[in-house]
Amino acid sequence: MRTTIKLALGSTLAIALLTGCGSAKTRNIDIHNDKESSAVMGLDYRDFQGAAQSMVQSLINSGAVNKPGGGRYVLVVSRVINDTMQHIDTDQLVKKMRVALLRSGKVVVTTAVGVGGAEDKMSMQTRTALRGNAEFNQRTVAAKGQMIAPDLSLSGKIIQRNITVDSSTQQVEYYFQMSLTDINTGLAFWEDEKVIGKRGSNDSVAW
Amino acid sequence: MRNIFILIATLLTFSACSNNYQPDPRVKIIGHCSNSAMLVSDVNAMMRDDGFMQTQITGENLTSSYFKVEYKIVWFDENNFKIDSILSNWAEIPAYAEQPFYINVTAPSNKAKTFRLYLKKEGNLICEQQSN
Repeated sequence: MRTTIKLALGSTLAIALLTGCGSAKTRNIDIHNDKESSAVMGLDYRDFQGAAQSMVQSLINSGAVNKPGGGRYVLVVSRVINDTMQHIDTDQLVKKMRVALLRSGKVVVTTAVGVGGAEDKMSMQTRTALRGNAEFNQRTVAAKGQMIAPDLSLSGKIIQRNITVDSSTQQVEYYFQMSLTDINTGLAFWEDEKVIGKRGSNDSVAW
Repeated sequence: MRNIFILIATLLTFSACSNNYQPDPRVKIIGHCSNSAMLVSDVNAMMRDDGFMQTQITGENLTSSYFKVEYKIVWFDENNFKIDSILSNWAEIPAYAEQPFYINVTAPSNKAKTFRLYLKKEGNLICEQQSN
């Protein structure tokens, strides 16, 4: 009887321990009020959100997108270099900026031009494929000379620097650098940089 | 004569103790502790030539220690509808001990006609009543 009780207790304890040591329960993040695990050494969505917010505010504050005589500038997104050890899709930063700038009413973004070719290839493809095609009503096919060339180009770089503070602590610095260039003159109308610094255990990885 | 002195003394006392600052209805400091830690002394707003509203809020860290101020500005159009923008997310600025701090922001769109600013002291978990 005593052995049975011991076995039962042992089993219960083992199950309890195993359950307790199991992986954390998966749950959705409240992205509007997420104060948890803010100290990850890598870049997370809050960093991109903060960087984009800071950049757009700086850009609108500067008046660089205020077109003399009114109207909207046409913006093309140039190269945003990821010079960090992390696999980052730079659209995490750029898309937020594009949306905010488009909503500002001062800028419209072209997707017909890009560094590695058109961002949306369809606008060009529909022209080349459909123009002269007897299956399509030619009055509905985009005419020649209708595309608008960009006035401004947005480019940037995200840089990472790792610094050893002491034997157990490391510091990781991220630099978000952005430029807005007037394509006609090649002059940068606006530039800014936002730095995010994180200090933590050497055991944490930043990639 | 004695009564006149008492009256003058009373008037002087009250005028010295009174606070001339009228809280701006567009600004709200969240949390009891934040209220005692900071003060908003000036709210300046103007319409720029490009149609964008710009505002500068001047506040002061009333404590003898550094902290970060979190702020959020919600913009409204002429019909008092909220304008959704990435610029309405919480942001932060440094508030150095016993020094003023300035929040200088431009509206996300030229449709913005007014705003509401929320301020709180960062990490004030005990006194924080709401976070958004």
